[in-house]
Amino acid sequence: MKRSWWKGLVVPAALIVAAEIAMRLSNTTSMSLAAPSDILAALLRALFDGSMLVATRDTLASAGAGLLLGGLLGLLLGMIFGLIPIVNRLMEVTVEAIRPIPSVAVLPIAMLVFGFGYSMEIAIVAFSCLWPVMILTRAAMAGIEPRLIEVARALRLSTTQRIAKIVLPAALPRIMVAVRLAAAIALVVAVTVEIAANPLGLGYGILVAQQGLQPDLMLAYLVWIGVVGWSLNATLAFAEKRLFGRAAQVEAAGA
Amino acid sequence: MKWSRLLSLLASFLVTALFVLAWKLVADYKLVSPVFLPGPDRAWTSLVRGFTTGDLGVKFLATVERMFWGWLIASLIGVALGAAIGTSPKLRAYLAPMLEFLRPLPASATIPVAIAVLGLSDGMVLAVIAFGALWPVLLATIHGFAAVEPRLYEVGRALRLSRATVIAKIALPSASPDILAGMRLGLTVALILSVVCEMIAGRDGLGNWILLAARSFRAPDLYAGVILLGLLGYFTAIAIGLLEARLLVWRSRAR
Amino acid sequence: MNTSNDAAIVFDRVSLAYGGRPIISDLSLDVGRGEIVCIIGPSGCGKTTALRMAGGLVRPLDGTVRVLGEPLTEPRRDVAIVFQDYGKALLPWRTAAANVSLALEAAGTPRSERPERIRTLLAKVGLASHEDKYPTEMSGGMQQRIQIARCLAQDPAVLLMDEPFGALDAMTRQGLQDEMLSIVAETGATVFFVTHDLEEAVYLGDRVIGLLPNPGRIGIDLKVDLPRPRDQLETREMPEFLRLRRTLFDFIEKAEA
Repeated sequence: MKRSWWKGLVVPAALIVAAEIAMRLSNTTSMSLAAPSDILAALLRALFDGSMLVATRDTLASAGAGLLLGGLLGLLLGMIFGLIPIVNRLMEVTVEAIRPIPSVAVLPIAMLVFGFGYSMEIAIVAFSCLWPVMILTRAAMAGIEPRLIEVARALRLSTTQRIAKIVLPAALPRIMVAVRLAAAIALVVAVTVEIAANPLGLGYGILVAQQGLQPDLMLAYLVWIGVVGWSLNATLAFAEKRLFGRAAQVEAAGA
Repeated sequence: MKWSRLLSLLASFLVTALFVLAWKLVADYKLVSPVFLPGPDRAWTSLVRGFTTGDLGVKFLATVERMFWGWLIASLIGVALGAAIGTSPKLRAYLAPMLEFLRPLPASATIPVAIAVLGLSDGMVLAVIAFGALWPVLLATIHGFAAVEPRLYEVGRALRLSRATVIAKIALPSASPDILAGMRLGLTVALILSVVCEMIAGRDGLGNWILLAARSFRAPDLYAGVILLGLLGYFTAIAIGLLEARLLVWRSRAR
Repeated sequence: MNTSNDAAIVFDRVSLAYGGRPIISDLSLDVGRGEIVCIIGPSGCGKTTALRMAGGLVRPLDGTVRVLGEPLTEPRRDVAIVFQDYGKALLPWRTAAANVSLALEAAGTPRSERPERIRTLLAKVGLASHEDKYPTEMSGGMQQRIQIARCLAQDPAVLLMDEPFGALDAMTRQGLQDEMLSIVAETGATVFFVTHDLEEAVYLGDRVIGLLPNPGRIGIDLKVDLPRPRDQLETREMPEFLRLRRTLFDFIEKAEA
């Protein structure tokens, strides 16, 4: 693995070089494509004049706020459903009726209620993040070693103590997996909402570049969105590994 | 089905009915402006009217068709490509890092690029859906084929099975749980992208319909569309669940 | 070694190394037709590797392996391998019957003849009423029986068994040992049986060969003169059995030291 890391770079590098040569040879000013060198130049320009950084901030802020909101709600609901079986059974049909609604379908509703801006985007992101976090938290609750619950009962811990000292720590590695999944979803949904309707952030940036017939800037945005998505994922994966180490991987594999 | 299970489902349905009733009361007493929240009765009337006198059925079918073809193309390419990459450690070494980098890229971010290259056409929409739904299928298939028990390949060698037979009788069935999980995820992505593309590119379909309804403040139509999308999501999930249950009997019968 | 022509398996000055480390060095060994030869030895002596070479799964670096008189370059269908890890060697998505069927499909047995043969084979290994069960629904002993049935479906002239009963409990193991012996007596197949259980080796074998480690080579070659059919109680109480066991025990102790 260590010895052959360069192999992963061969194909992308070859593709980039091929694209560069093809664009240079054809020597046309395309309205839809741009040479990699031009894309890089556009990327650097947009980064240094601050426009792309502002867009990144807007997107990440909306995605983060939505993730926080939806994640906390999902965590709460997941804990309630996971710890109190009767509530889980009573809510089954309701949950299964709302959950399959595609996240973007609530976009027009959010638009109607909030108009354009941060709040509608946050609301949609929150709706999208709620479900995976809820379901994985519920599963995490169900997956807690019953012996631990018995220990808590034997020690006569109060309900809050039981949740704080036994339930949450025991379920934490799996909840962390849910958060990582939800974070990826949050970014995807935020960008999607921006492209589809909301005039802010990276998604809007790429749309404007396309409509302004600036293929280099448009593709620069695409590359940048990829970089942001990858970094977010890598950071969370790293944090997960640092925080829980091998335990997290074992738990995730068992989940 | 056991009686207790039936009973709990019934109770769960009642709870859902109570929620719908609460929705109706909130709407009737105008606790929330009817501009945002029409009652369930009005949404239902709108849904029925849309199907009987309007062209909601046509739009519904347009979305279903888009989603299905995009998903099918993605599944075929994803499984074929995934099988090739998954069975070859060499290809994996060269391609996996690039695929991992591209994975978190929001598929919707490719829409502006697709519009720039292919224009506002149905072909563009299909390309975006297929591209977006390809990733979950491709990555799951690669994983499935890479994770085939090496001992089974030895059994294949000992029985002198041909390469095609080994793939058909050993590798493919072994990878099928992963492939189906990827296809399930791909279907969700396909539905979301169908709706988003319809919204952005103005193609006829449910996505465009609910967006127009929101823009002209026809809230009952909007909710009718959202309900329809929820139903679509629900039934596609059920359909693929049935497919899984049928193809993976051996998994559910494990003791 | 001039018996090679009518021997079932011949290792002729075979050597193998992985990444420069010798695994087996200059191994010569004949297994006669219809003979049951048990291979024992401490871990790292290359006994499983030798079996894999006899199965054509691994090719020697030097020397040749001949099976039924022909040099072996790849697996053959009349040489069946029973793996130790039955859980991994069975197709979990196929029922017991369909797992056995895989070998018949490989051999191109006409579809119409398969059900009858599968029924016979499963009955032979004591799984008559379990045809439609999936491996995961069965106990370890039953799963290993499926694998044996699949190997018998190959009509093997040679059975290569790699610690096939190592993961089973004592009772199941004894039952399967006796079943294997009676099946082999019936078919006249040659058996190459790798085990780490010395008593099992003496109980099953016509010959027991002990390998020495680092690199693998022959350390001891014992003829087992015990009457057949063997019996779990009587055979194991015979003085000759005890003597052979003692000899092998001493050999292993020295080999591991």
